[in-house]
Amino acid sequence: MASIPGPDACPPTVRLNYPTAKLSLFLLLSLSSGPHYLIKKDRERKHRKPASKTGLPVWMLGMGAGRWEEDMSHLLALLFRQGVLDEHFMQLQQLQDESSPNFVLEVISIYFRESEKLLRNIRTLLLDRECTDYRKIGVYLNHLMGSSSSIGANLVRNVCVAFRAASEHCNWAGCLRSLAVLEHEYCYLKNKLHELFQIEQQRVLAAGVRYHPLLQ
Amino acid sequence: MEAMQKLAAPDASPGSNYGSGLAIVTVAGAAPEQFPAGLRVLVVDDDVTCLKILEHMLRKCRYHVITCSEAMIALSLLRERKGCFDVVISDVHMPDMDGFKLLELVGLEMDLPVIMMSADGRTSAVMRGIKHGACDYLIKPVRMEELKNVWQHVVRKKWNESKDVENSGSFEDSDHQGRVADESEYASSMNEGTDASWKTQKKKRDSKDEEDDVELDNEDPSSSKKPRVVWSVELHQQFVNAVNQVGIDKAVPKRILELMNVPGLTRENVASHLQEHHLKFVPMQKFRLYLKRISGVTQHQVALPSLFCNQVEAKTKCGSLGSLDFHSLAASGQIPPQTLAALHAELLCHSSNNIVFPAVDQPVLLQASSQGSKFLPLEKEVAFGQPLFKCQSGMQKQLPPSEITVHGMSPGFSSWSSNQLGVTGSNNKHSGLSNIQNNSLLMQMLQHQQQQEHHQESFHSMVSDSNNAINVQPSCLVVSSQSPSSITVGCNSGPINQKSLVLSPQPSSNIQLRNNSLLASSNSTSNSSNSRLNNPPLGMAPAANGDFTDIGMLSTYYPPSSLSSSSVCTSSAAGWRPQNNMKISSINQRAGQLPKLCIQGSEQISGASVNQGQFRNLGFVGKGTCIPSRFAVDDLESPTNDKGFTKTSTFDDVDKVKQELNLDFLDGTKVGNTMLPNFPSTDFLGFLSKYA
Repeated sequence: MASIPGPDACPPTVRLNYPTAKLSLFLLLSLSSGPHYLIKKDRERKHRKPASKTGLPVWMLGMGAGRWEEDMSHLLALLFRQGVLDEHFMQLQQLQDESSPNFVLEVISIYFRESEKLLRNIRTLLLDRECTDYRKIGVYLNHLMGSSSSIGANLVRNVCVAFRAASEHCNWAGCLRSLAVLEHEYCYLKNKLHELFQIEQQRVLAAGVRYHPLLQ
Repeated sequence: MEAMQKLAAPDASPGSNYGSGLAIVTVAGAAPEQFPAGLRVLVVDDDVTCLKILEHMLRKCRYHVITCSEAMIALSLLRERKGCFDVVISDVHMPDMDGFKLLELVGLEMDLPVIMMSADGRTSAVMRGIKHGACDYLIKPVRMEELKNVWQHVVRKKWNESKDVENSGSFEDSDHQGRVADESEYASSMNEGTDASWKTQKKKRDSKDEEDDVELDNEDPSSSKKPRVVWSVELHQQFVNAVNQVGIDKAVPKRILELMNVPGLTRENVASHLQEHHLKFVPMQKFRLYLKRISGVTQHQVALPSLFCNQVEAKTKCGSLGSLDFHSLAASGQIPPQTLAALHAELLCHSSNNIVFPAVDQPVLLQASSQGSKFLPLEKEVAFGQPLFKCQSGMQKQLPPSEITVHGMSPGFSSWSSNQLGVTGSNNKHSGLSNIQNNSLLMQMLQHQQQQEHHQESFHSMVSDSNNAINVQPSCLVVSSQSPSSITVGCNSGPINQKSLVLSPQPSSNIQLRNNSLLASSNSTSNSSNSRLNNPPLGMAPAANGDFTDIGMLSTYYPPSSLSSSSVCTSSAAGWRPQNNMKISSINQRAGQLPKLCIQGSEQISGASVNQGQFRNLGFVGKGTCIPSRFAVDDLESPTNDKGFTKTSTFDDVDKVKQELNLDFLDGTKVGNTMLPNFPSTDFLGFLSKYA
């Protein structure tokens, strides 16, 4: 008989009203089923930890700057190795100074905007096999080549060169293929540059936190 | 007008002494010690990116810059304010007016020096520019050095004009000429990168020579020729032939001059050119001899260029110096004098007309040092290790990436290949050349493997990098139909839950129609490896399941039915979601649950559209970006979670709870697919309601 739980130990569902029953059932279930219990607990734990706007716990921020720099140099090295970027990108970075603190970001945003317009236009031109204006494609390509090479987007530029050859031979299939490659490489570049900017952002944040007067 | 304001506003660039008075300052009136700072430049280009970059670069040179994106506006600006500009830099291809037309008009009306600029660096285009009377022709990307020398054109033009005006006693003029010649030669010898301008200057001069047939020497005052001799390809070719005829050790400027028989060329010109090219000249000849000897001439010449492609346009500057540039060898000083002497001796024996460098031929260009100081160390290594060839066909141009990748793949290899230059410089000539040959063979081999290896390498590098919290806001997705196969290569080497890469070809309404056209083109090629650098057509994942047998491999972990579809990279993709790093979605779905797919950042695989509100994270893979599909909804974002620390930069608040749920759930646990479906977040509540 000792094994029979007393009335108090009974699940309160029997006695309490409906909404509370739900709640208690929830509690009961959470207590009994492991993972949910964990989840609940962890959530509470998480909520207790202060987090900065970026979601990082504050204690991590100050020490993060070095890691971000590392990440950045890793990424840059990778991109250089792959030939995605070349030294003109570094030249672009050097143009940024106190008088123009967001220069690189601005220029690259403009580049993205313009390039996407150009790529769209080229794709539109290639829609119709019969009346493709290859000369115009060449003009757009020239434009894209110029801006890509100016910011140091080496790979995109090289693809443009190949594309231009196809367009000069009025090779529609070749143009389509080249366009696909071009779009692909452009996307890759864009992703990587976004990454770079994100890392840079984090780095600045992390470095900023460290040097915040109140924190010192 | 905006341009007006720009003119009126004081220049904020440091070092400028002119402030708001820049409108009045003339070149002659500028403080001499400050010159060329304060030069007033007008830049016209329809490409806003280049415009901005140029503007900044010119500001760094302490010039006063006004930019304009339309030729008509530029013209009206120039007309309104005569005497307010010193030089005009204009792009060749502009929508409203041809750059050359602008050039002519400016030259006629305002008589300002005009510098043309274009991404097209082909000889024909440059020739056109010169024939139209451009002072200079810059090839994009424009470098700082080239811009720094812009003032020369201004000075030269002014002095030529004053010379024409005076036209009195020849001794006066010869003083002028001598001074100008000295200065320009001094300046030109300071130029590192104005090869294009050299070439164009020389072309201009050549064409004038041919037309006027005037005896040019430094003392001739009256013609409008430029005193600076620029060595064009043809001229250099003649020079080379003459040197070969004479023999390297007997290559005195006087004899060379006689042999060249170019009217108007002076002994001094030849002497300086010889001095400059001597070092580079000899080893190149020798190198080619050995190449011919070791393997068949044509065979080798075809093989090498096809393997090592140069970035054609960008490097034509260096290439235009003549076909033989051995910058790296010479500048790096890797050729000991004994080698040179030995090469001399050999060359003498072999000196013949065989060593010609026809335009069709593809000489070896080793470039590094001319810009070596600016290179990153890694880059330098790469540049050194790559013999670069001038590429002729479009097909070959596709190889540079692979070339670079190969180098990047194994540091050991790249250092080895950078050693090969050293070897060529060493006393052991044979080994040097055989190294190069081996290099080429190796390159061939590696080329085939490079895709996989590159993939793997980048894969590993991504995994090893601990980068996580990166928000990427790409505007398009790319999907490779062949990527899965190569991904499996990388995947198998590590724990599955650490590496992502699942791609599903399930067609869905999300896939746009336009993808089908890409599909058609992508299906036509059969390149089955990861193609990022290899130019296979990339299109969306084909709907045909046949192409995804490779994925079947991965399917053992993830039931294919649960894989969601992928979308295609389109440049016009809108509706991007910021997406963090790669994640692996658990695929073990129940029906109706479409997980979000994660993608290896550096691969061209894209995420997929997902069923609203339900998604799982398994964790993420190292570094990279997760490219969400354009149809991804906000709540599919997830933080990156790498087993221990959370470095999430941004994620929507909507997702926060869910993510935390997932994260916490997965934290510290080995990913078990079977566990996940048991606790779907939303189902939990639904489940509860059943009991309520």
